Amino acid sequence: MAINKNSNAYIIMYTVVMVVVVATLLTFAATSLKDRQNANAENEKKSAIMAALGMAGGSTEQAVKDFDEMIVPALIVDGVFTPQYDETGEAYDAKPVLDKLADLKGLAAAENELPIFKYEKDDAVRYVIPVSGKGLWDSIWGYIALKEDGNTIAGAVFGHKGETPGLGAEIATPAHQSEYVDQQLFDDNGNFVSVKLVKGGATPGSKHEVDAITGGTKTSDGVTLMLKNGLSKYEGFLRTLSATAAEDTTLADDAVSEPALDEAFDAETIDVKPTNVEEE
Amino acid sequence: MKLNSNITAPLGGNNPVVVQILGICSALAVTVKLEPAVVMGLSVIFVTAFANLVMSLLRNGIPSRIRIIVQLVVIATLVILVDQVLRAFAYDVSKQLSVYVGLIITNCIVMGRVEAYALGHKPWESLLDGIGNGLGYALILVIVAFFRELFGSGTLFGIDIIARFGYVGNSLMLFPPMALIIVGCIIWVHRSFNKDLQEK
Repeated sequence: MAINKNSNAYIIMYTVVMVVVVATLLTFAATSLKDRQNANAENEKKSAIMAALGMAGGSTEQAVKDFDEMIVPALIVDGVFTPQYDETGEAYDAKPVLDKLADLKGLAAAENELPIFKYEKDDAVRYVIPVSGKGLWDSIWGYIALKEDGNTIAGAVFGHKGETPGLGAEIATPAHQSEYVDQQLFDDNGNFVSVKLVKGGATPGSKHEVDAITGGTKTSDGVTLMLKNGLSKYEGFLRTLSATAAEDTTLADDAVSEPALDEAFDAETIDVKPTNVEEE
Repeated sequence: MKLNSNITAPLGGNNPVVVQILGICSALAVTVKLEPAVVMGLSVIFVTAFANLVMSLLRNGIPSRIRIIVQLVVIATLVILVDQVLRAFAYDVSKQLSVYVGLIITNCIVMGRVEAYALGHKPWESLLDGIGNGLGYALILVIVAFFRELFGSGTLFGIDIIARFGYVGNSLMLFPPMALIIVGCIIWVHRSFNKDLQEK
């Protein structure tokens, strides 16, 4: 044949054609599978949120179904709980909220829209707050389920990208996650203290400490920092919750004066700054 | 028949893992449980088969100076396709396999077979050779994963087999060195049946 397969012209032609063919093929594959992949990633988040609520169910499918039925996806816009609806305005739309999870750290700058998930059934109300941070090797994340008072933790799940198996990776085990249950974010004086992972073991009876992971000190520090940074953004909103909870209790005791009610009402709807209603 | 031996030889006397000692690192990494091991095995079968087929079809047109680059592009393309498909249809398994799907590119079996066989043989024979070598790799993966999952977690494919009788998982089985030891045992057994492989 006349074609010299080792000539520069042939080699260049060959590579150009090859690259174009391969690029077309891969682009086609990537775009046609993208929706499915995104749906998978979304379902994983939904199932983690259900796990934080202690309702992981048997399978991802079940968890996703439960999520769609029971969860109110919302944004905290300027301190006000704002459920997100789809175009029809009838059904909830979790997508804008879930999309926010991709860049939780970036939200620090624009704190006026924070993702949150509300669960409400059989008189039990739970708020699930997503947090993310950095472990020893790579990113870590978690979902913290809070009780109605915006203070007591009802459940927590953590995930990690590449912490050391057997050490830092232990944060993702039920044994560690169960320690957070009934811990509190605010101290008795109403100050935000978050929950710390304490090396050498939590002080017995402490409401703000859990055991750190043995051999996973850096990861534990990462979780402590993640909880503090992540949850403190919600501090204003959580205070309105505790104010409402306090109001409910006092109402039940039938010992609340009108001005106090107004004050609590203001705190609930407008004021996101520390109100210290708890102290009353 | 020669074509049949393309499939059967890698399963027995010329196994890529236990005879040629190729692809060991991924064999250690993905064999903690059977399910990811099976998926990894299938992925490698797909890649070896089609890398061999495509390279055999192209073999007369490839400029020899950029031969290796073309091989890498073909293999990388196939691996990315596998990775994308797994992420779309087997998300949980693809998370467990994590980087090891991408690392099929560096699996010596794939490039070794392309270089040693596909470039000099017809497409059909090359395809069979690829399937055979992929199967040979998958077979070892599944054997190792069988022992590691059974004795490490007391389950098979996540189904409780012996844990229900009070068996407590031996976590040593879950660590990579144990995979190396099991591969060593397989090689031992394999050589005792294949006397011609024994070194004097």
